[in-house]
Amino acid sequence: MTIAEGLSFGLLGAGAFFFMAGSVGLIRLPDRFTRLHALTKADNVGLGLIVLGLMPLAADVREALKLGLIWILVVIAGATGAHLIAKRALRGDGEDAQ
Amino acid sequence: MTTTLLAAFDILLSLTLLALAAAALTSAEPRRAVILFIAFGLVLALVWARLRAPDLALAEAAIGAGLSGALLLAATRRAKAHTKEGASGSPEGQP
Amino acid sequence: MTAYLLVIALVLMLSIAIGLVRVAIGPTPSDRMMAAQLMGTSGIGVVLLLAQVVEVGGLVDVALIFALLAAVAVTAFTRRRANEREAKG
Repeated sequence: MTIAEGLSFGLLGAGAFFFMAGSVGLIRLPDRFTRLHALTKADNVGLGLIVLGLMPLAADVREALKLGLIWILVVIAGATGAHLIAKRALRGDGEDAQ
Repeated sequence: MTTTLLAAFDILLSLTLLALAAAALTSAEPRRAVILFIAFGLVLALVWARLRAPDLALAEAAIGAGLSGALLLAATRRAKAHTKEGASGSPEGQP
Repeated sequence: MTAYLLVIALVLMLSIAIGLVRVAIGPTPSDRMMAAQLMGTSGIGVVLLLAQVVEVGGLVDVALIFALLAAVAVTAFTRRRANEREAKG
């Protein structure tokens, strides 16, 4: 196993751990805002670690940069989405409890 | 080893897809059904990706889940506003 | 290495399945949308890992579309009804 493979081994494991922690948090935490907190960690850090772990395995530099681009897009979309959802929940419109 | 793992992955993928489909079909509340439909589109795109059909996965993710998901969300919102405002008229109401 | 990548993909798949539970039980629409977002992100991870395993060209582009889809869905979900009514007159 080369150094690059060992590096991606550890990074991928850490990413999977963050995803697992995020989804367990999404189930276990008591209200929407704490759940939002768990979700954003899984989204940004988890996928970031997975992407970092896959970068050393990529065929060439272009593929690696594309992986990075996907992560940046997810971070932007995730941050915007989290703010929108939190604002909507604070405002309380459309939250018809069932 | 690899084949076993792939089989486990496929089984989990299929079960998730079926569970999502059943939940979306049996849902009484429209918005819940729409969000389940979006999630269903996501998992279906994963199935196409697993079947080595990236073109179909692209189409499913962009059109099936993205576009029609957004349109259906807008439609449920309008339907709700419509039934609230037009409570005096017929509940189905003309647009 | 391939087996390890598949194990990670399996874990992410499990995270999608858990997200499905939260989408189903709610209780508020915000919770459902959050869980759908988590499913989208996990889906991106699964697609990226699959792209490494099965070596089909173009799977990375699918992940790119998934990333855009999340943004579109959340924006469509959070649009205000009040604005719409004003726009209608």
